[in-house]
Amino acid sequence: MKDNQKKAWLFLAPAIICVTVFSIWPILRAFTMSFQGGPLIDLQFNGLSNYQYIFSDPEFWRAIMNTAIYSFLAVPIALIISVVLAWFIFSKIKHTAFFETMFFMPYVTSTIAIGIVFRYIFNGEYGLLNFLLKLVHLPQPDWLDNPSLSLVSLIIFGIWSSLAFNIVILMGALRNIEPNYYVLADMYGATSREKFWRITVPQLVPTLAFLLTVNLIGAFKIYTQVYALFNGQAGVGNSAMTAVYYIYNKFQIVGTPGVAMAATVVLFLFILFVTFLQRKLMKKVNS
Amino acid sequence: MKKKKLRWGMIFVYLFIGIFGIITVFPFIYMILGGLMSYQETTTIPPTLIPKTLRWSNYQKVFEQAPFARYFLNTFITAATTTIVTLFTSILGAFAMTNLKFKGKGFIQLIFLSLLMVPGEAIIFTNYNTIAHLGLLNTYLGLVLPFLTSIFYMYYLQSYFTAISPTIYKAAMIDGASDWEYIWKILVPMSKGGLITVALLSFISGWNSFLWPLLVTNEDKMRLLNNGLAAFASDAGAQTQLQLAAATLTVVPVLIVYFIFRKQIIRGVVRNDLKA
Repeated sequence: MKDNQKKAWLFLAPAIICVTVFSIWPILRAFTMSFQGGPLIDLQFNGLSNYQYIFSDPEFWRAIMNTAIYSFLAVPIALIISVVLAWFIFSKIKHTAFFETMFFMPYVTSTIAIGIVFRYIFNGEYGLLNFLLKLVHLPQPDWLDNPSLSLVSLIIFGIWSSLAFNIVILMGALRNIEPNYYVLADMYGATSREKFWRITVPQLVPTLAFLLTVNLIGAFKIYTQVYALFNGQAGVGNSAMTAVYYIYNKFQIVGTPGVAMAATVVLFLFILFVTFLQRKLMKKVNS
Repeated sequence: MKKKKLRWGMIFVYLFIGIFGIITVFPFIYMILGGLMSYQETTTIPPTLIPKTLRWSNYQKVFEQAPFARYFLNTFITAATTTIVTLFTSILGAFAMTNLKFKGKGFIQLIFLSLLMVPGEAIIFTNYNTIAHLGLLNTYLGLVLPFLTSIFYMYYLQSYFTAISPTIYKAAMIDGASDWEYIWKILVPMSKGGLITVALLSFISGWNSFLWPLLVTNEDKMRLLNNGLAAFASDAGAQTQLQLAAATLTVVPVLIVYFIFRKQIIRGVVRNDLKA
C-alpha cells in the first residue's frame, strides 16, 4: 500500500476546515484582540493597556478570588463525598446499577432548570432549606440575597452538580481493580477498612488525579451555575462574580472586547498550566 | 462483638447513601411537584410537598406566556443538526487517522491533541465575533456552525475504529470496495455502539447548551430552550409554580432519553475518561 495516501486530506477536510475557522483562528484572534481597544466594530491597537486595566481592576481580582475559592473548596469536598459514595455503592450494597443511574441524573440535566429549583429551595422566606434549618433550631440565613453567602450557595450547588460525573468515573475505576487483590486480602484476614486504604485508594490514585484536574479546570470556567442560581446576575452586588462571568460582562454588557480578551488570555494560560501539571502528574503516577 | 460493629457500619453506609440519594433526587421531584401546585402552595410555610390538586393548567399558562413550543423546535433542530453533522465529520476524520497513511499525519495529530486542551470558553467570544461578521446572528446556521466537528468525538471514535482489525480494511480494498463503501458498509455498522454513544452525548450537550446561544441570539423566536427558560424565569417573576413547570418541561425530555439509554450514556462517559 502507498505510504502517502493523499486522499486522507479529503476525508479530513471537513474537520480541518471547521477546526481552523472555529478553534485555531479564534485563539489567535483572542490574543491579538487583547492588545486592542474600542468597540468590536472599530478595534485599535492599544498595547498592553487592557492587561494593565484588568490587573488594576478590583472587580477582576474579586472574580479571580471567587473562582479560586469556589474551585479549591467545591472540588475537593465533592471529590471526597464522591469517593465515599462510589465505594459504598460499589462494595457494600446491592442494586449497584440502580444507584449509579440515580446519582448520574444531574449530569444530563440542564443547569438552568435545576438552578430554578435550587433558587426555590434556597429562598429566604419560603425556601425548603430554611424550613429544615428551623426545624433543628439553626439560624436561617438569606442564602441568595446576602452577599456574604452567595459564594457558599454557589459551592453547595456546585458540589451537587459535580457528584454525578465523579461517581460514575470512580465506579468505572473500581470495577477495573483486579478482584484477586481483595481475595488475597481476605485470605490474610484484612478488614474492610484495611482493604479500602491499602488496596482501593492506591489503585484509584490515577483516577483521582484525573478527576481532580478535570474538576478544577471545569471549576475555573464556572459560569452557567452562577447565571442559573442568581437569575442572570452574578449574585447581589456582583458578590459571586467569577472569571468567565467577568469576561462575559466585559465582552457583551460593557462592550470592551479587548479587556475581555485580556482576561480570557490570562484564564487560558492558567488552564493550560494546570493541564500541563496534570500531564506531568499523570506521567509520574503511571510510572 | 465483631458482628455488632459490622451492623453499625452498615447503618452508616445506608444512611450516607440514603441522605445523598435524597439530596440528588429530591430537586427533580420537587421540581415536578412544584410545577403542579398553585402559587399559594409553592410559597406557604411549612412548605407543601404534595399539591392538593394537580394543576396541569400551569403548563397551559407556560405555553401561553412564552413560545416554548418554538424553543423546543429550535433546540431540537440545533441539537439534531450538530449531532448528525458532527458524527459525519468525525467518522470521516477518524477513518483517515486510523486506516490511512499520509505525510503530515503526525503533525495533524499534534495539532488535534493540543486543541483538545483549549477550553471552549476561551474561544467562544471570538467565535461570536466571526459569526457576527458573517451576519449570522439569530440564525440556525450561526447556532450550529462552530460545533459541526469535534476532535474529542473523533478521538473517541478512533478508539472504536482501531479495534477493528486492519486486515478487514485490506480485504475490502482487495475485493474492490472504495473507502467510501468501507466506511458506510463495514466501519459504521461494526462501531454502532460507539456511534450511538457519541450521538447521545452530543445531543444531550446540544440540548443543554447555554452560553453560545445566549451570545448569538437575542430574538425571542430564535432562542433555545435554556435561554428561553432563563428569560422566562426573570419575566415570570414571582410565579414560582410556572417557573418550576417550565423547568420540568426542559428537563423531562432529556431524562426520558437518559433512562432509556442509561447504559450507553454512562459507559460512554466512563470510556471518555480512560482515553484521557
